[in-house]
Amino acid sequence: MLKICTVYFGDKYTPDYVGKLFRSIRRNSSIQFESICISDDPNVEADIVLPYNRNSPVKLHWHKLKFFSPNYAYQKEGDDIIVMDIDQVITGNVDDLIGHPVEEDELITYGVWWNSDEIVEQGLALETNGGFYKFKSGSLAFVWDDFIRNPEYWQTKWYKDDVVHFKYYGEQNYVNWKVVWDERNKPTKITKTPSEWIAKYHGAKDDYFKNVKLNQKYCKLHDADYMILDDVNTNIKVVHFLGPKETIHEHNFKWIEDNWK
Amino acid sequence: MKRIICCRFGDKFTQWHVDNLKYMIDTFSGIQYDTFEVIEEDLYGNWYNKFQMYDKFRDGENLYFDLDVVIYKRLPNLWRKEFTLLDDKWWRPDFGHTPLNSSIVSWTGDVSHIWEKFWPYADVYMKKYNLGSDEFYYKEIEYNIFDPVCPKINTTTPHAAMGIVTLGQLHHLMEEGWTGWWSKYFKPSSLP
Repeated sequence: MLKICTVYFGDKYTPDYVGKLFRSIRRNSSIQFESICISDDPNVEADIVLPYNRNSPVKLHWHKLKFFSPNYAYQKEGDDIIVMDIDQVITGNVDDLIGHPVEEDELITYGVWWNSDEIVEQGLALETNGGFYKFKSGSLAFVWDDFIRNPEYWQTKWYKDDVVHFKYYGEQNYVNWKVVWDERNKPTKITKTPSEWIAKYHGAKDDYFKNVKLNQKYCKLHDADYMILDDVNTNIKVVHFLGPKETIHEHNFKWIEDNWK
Repeated sequence: MKRIICCRFGDKFTQWHVDNLKYMIDTFSGIQYDTFEVIEEDLYGNWYNKFQMYDKFRDGENLYFDLDVVIYKRLPNLWRKEFTLLDDKWWRPDFGHTPLNSSIVSWTGDVSHIWEKFWPYADVYMKKYNLGSDEFYYKEIEYNIFDPVCPKINTTTPHAAMGIVTLGQLHHLMEEGWTGWWSKYFKPSSLP
């Protein structure tokens, strides 16, 4: 069984993000899956809705890590687990993405192309991207097990280290650390999906020039005519609205209206 | 008079956790008792609230359990005459600030001297032992310890020689969505 798992909480997004993500995956895929959401709103649309516990020592996006435990979300041996952020618009067929084969001790994640040259040259680019993880149930359980031994430490480490600029951010830095650098664990194979499948986009009205630069970079790296203009390049499967202030629902691009429903 | 005691305050634990403890005791532990008492007054906003039981219950045989335990088999006799609590050194040799663990406590009669020593200087002690009330016992109180009886949970398999485990930091295992060998011992109703 394939389980696609998300987390929804707070008021940055609206509850319909969850249903729109899962519906758009189903529209753009022939692969059966079970949808699961950790949510502080019981009315989100998912096959299974699990409570977001505000009294937990686990904060914000860090709840995503629960899915790395085979004891969570009714996982069974052999299940394939995908963890996705909800701030994504599905714009193409995702059979090759969600159906990407995965082995024990392997993490499938987005191939990211938008890191700045400076970040790449300094060796600061992460090998993993928190927008999409796929793994075999339980095979990366150490990600959760090590985290829950000292959640406060991990949840503030990257903020205190000035790597991220919002308290309790850094979940993808932690996952990256565990699967790439932590030598106490057996090696994890990192597999990146083709980078042309994923677009990064800014939704804010004053971000026009940022999006122009993203279009230019995407075109240069992938020999494409455009990333997103009036429509989305047909090689793109997912558009990710990355960033602490980015949302989807505040924008009225036609391609969002066509795909995010 | 044999008295089972637990403590619930704040938002971390709910009535389900109290009902669940009673269910596990009644169903699996083999413990016979006369009354089931719940300390609910939130005087301190932390686990020093447990100390109220030494004031409230000054007679009879008393046996206290934390709410974050799993009882899955018949337990050995835990009723004690002298003030007795757990010593975790046998499974937690690098015990940090205290080896003691008050997830299970037993005594007979009046041990109100613990309360009397604590409450007039509550602010001082809570500042001095700010990592938890168990250090207070370790540094300030005479105590006996149980034989090894309650280790931390192993999420893979139950400890075959034991009938009770503490969840330690793994409280989340009691939340909806978490399943494992322990699940079938919890009260079969909606989780919190």
